[in-house]
Amino acid sequence: MSVVIHMNDIFDCKLLIVDDEPQLRRMVSEILNRDGFRKLVTAAGCNDARRLFAAEKPEGIILDVALPDGDGFSLMREFRAVSAVPVLFLSARDEDENRLLGLGLGADDYIVKPFLPRELTLRLRAVLSRAYFPVVLRQTEKPVFRLGETEINFNSGTVSTPTGALTLTAKEYALLEKLYENRGNIVTGDSLCRAAWGDDLYGYENTLMVHIRRLREKIEPQPSAPRFLLTVRGLGYKLMGADNQ
Amino acid sequence: MKSMVKILFRYVLSAAGVALILLIINFALLAAWTVQTSKIAAPKEYSIVQIASGLTRSGGVYTLSESAGREIEKRYQWAMLLDNAGNVIWSKNLPGDVPLHYSVAEVASFVRWYLNDYPVTAWRHPDGLFVLGSSKESTWKYPIEMSQKVMDNTLLWIPAVLLLNGIAAVLLALLFGMRLFRSLKPLAQGIENMAEKQPVELSTRGLLGDLAAGVNKTSTRLMEQESALHKRDHARTAWIAGVSHDIRTPLSLVMGYASQLEDDPELPPVQRDQAGIIRRQSERIKTLVSDLNLASKLEYDMQPLRRNPLMLAALLRGVAADFLNSGLDNSYVIDLTIDESAQKAMISGDEELLRRAVANLMANSIHHNPNGCAIKIMLEAGWGNCSLSVSDNGVGFPPDRLSRLNHPQNAAELQNHGLGLTIVRQIVKAHGGTAEFRNLPAGGCLVVLCLPVCTAVITAQ
Repeated sequence: MSVVIHMNDIFDCKLLIVDDEPQLRRMVSEILNRDGFRKLVTAAGCNDARRLFAAEKPEGIILDVALPDGDGFSLMREFRAVSAVPVLFLSARDEDENRLLGLGLGADDYIVKPFLPRELTLRLRAVLSRAYFPVVLRQTEKPVFRLGETEINFNSGTVSTPTGALTLTAKEYALLEKLYENRGNIVTGDSLCRAAWGDDLYGYENTLMVHIRRLREKIEPQPSAPRFLLTVRGLGYKLMGADNQ
Repeated sequence: MKSMVKILFRYVLSAAGVALILLIINFALLAAWTVQTSKIAAPKEYSIVQIASGLTRSGGVYTLSESAGREIEKRYQWAMLLDNAGNVIWSKNLPGDVPLHYSVAEVASFVRWYLNDYPVTAWRHPDGLFVLGSSKESTWKYPIEMSQKVMDNTLLWIPAVLLLNGIAAVLLALLFGMRLFRSLKPLAQGIENMAEKQPVELSTRGLLGDLAAGVNKTSTRLMEQESALHKRDHARTAWIAGVSHDIRTPLSLVMGYASQLEDDPELPPVQRDQAGIIRRQSERIKTLVSDLNLASKLEYDMQPLRRNPLMLAALLRGVAADFLNSGLDNSYVIDLTIDESAQKAMISGDEELLRRAVANLMANSIHHNPNGCAIKIMLEAGWGNCSLSVSDNGVGFPPDRLSRLNHPQNAAELQNHGLGLTIVRQIVKAHGGTAEFRNLPAGGCLVVLCLPVCTAVITAQ
């Protein structure tokens, strides 16, 4: 994509905000300005938006669904016919069909009004990062983290303890990665099974228990009295946050 | 259609019954008639013997007893006695056209039949042949002859004929019954369709035309009412959806600016707190509006259900984990018990809505017990359905609320307590289940949701 070349970060993106409510346009602009986006243009309807789209070539569009002179879905289709610009819908329609229709048409996200400023900025940043700084370019390094004396390296799939280094099996790796992504939170047995075996928990309870026990033997100083990988009875497991250890 | 077959069966049975009863009546009548005629005939036959023996000879002169003479006068016309040579040796009232001499051939030809068109009866007399004659045209005579074999088989063919009659009666009844059945079938189908709210347009020709026209008219009426009701429901839902849509944009501004003020480090903490209150209350309005929208759509069946087979146990674990992960205060304890029978219980349902139902129940317990409580979630499976119960040891439902939850008068009524529990009931109802709200004797409330399990998946396993 040619736009990537002259862009250092997502805040360089030029954004087009389309909404028929002037107050809302003003507020969204303020929110985005405050978050660091500098290049903003606003349009009150489809015709305005078309003109600005052609003239300004925005790198991201925030689009209302219900516009006085047309609907946002068709407008997005027009833009998509000539460009792969990311589109985030900001709609007052909360019906699931509309959300699914928008996402089905290829919208990058769909936010229902009313929304919190933080929700808008976080999701917009995510949409723009995905579009212009894809994961494959951005992050080849996988995390390395410590649990007490133990260090876990997701790049090599190894566990280094004071007594020596151990290798994680594929299933242990998948389970630990899932737990690490949600560290500090409970991860249900169902989610773990889906991560490791792509299937529901039923029928895997014992297998899961065996794998968790082996994982504990590798990462816990005292596997019978776990400090990091805790069991939440009836629900699943929880990896204690690496930060507060 | 099952009842139609039953009607046909009954009809055939009753037709066969009618035929059988007719047959029996006819036989009875025949028997009665036979007995009656034989009663008339018996004295006559007896009479000729008496009359013949009433004619006696004493010294070459024949005398007829008085009673025999009366009998001849009364019942017959005339009498004569032939000797063995064929001459008339005695007679009484003999008509002029009756000869006085007969050859053997002539005797043989009249003896059982007619003599010059006079029906006659003959009897053996010690002196010859006694002949009684009636007036012309008074008696009908016909010979009956049967081969012996036929008569021997009578015992066989009478029941056979009866049986054939019975079969014929049943077949005819079936034939006519089928015709009736065929003409009734569209009517029955029409009534069934009417019950399923489908339009009915029956042909009004034929025997049952009037009936069909009546069904058509009723169906039209029903469809009109249905569409009027639907229109009204739709208008109501659309109105609520419109209002909730229109509230969202101004609410966005309130929420957005309140949130910015709340995060503004240049403002004194008191004002930031106040902005926080505005932000939180706006979020409450947001929830209320979308709840109202969902409740109205569920109430009037405008909410599409995206049904998929899903495992309830996994769903419950997910909801419970979400609550615990969202930073729930330690004063709340969540206990999830899934019965062994329910571990693999699959139901066909809308995952998002069912999650919402369970989350609403838990949120209700948390909201009404600010000082903490123990929330117990249980899942059990039985025949064809599973019961999901959420209970707490908190304050329980106020009595008037309880009765309104279990017996909603105005289904979508906006209660002071929000729509959370109303939505739970609606979601469960949309899935073909039931919701029961109760207070526990030891304190706290219990909500039992009964949902039909997905049988197709169970048989597949």
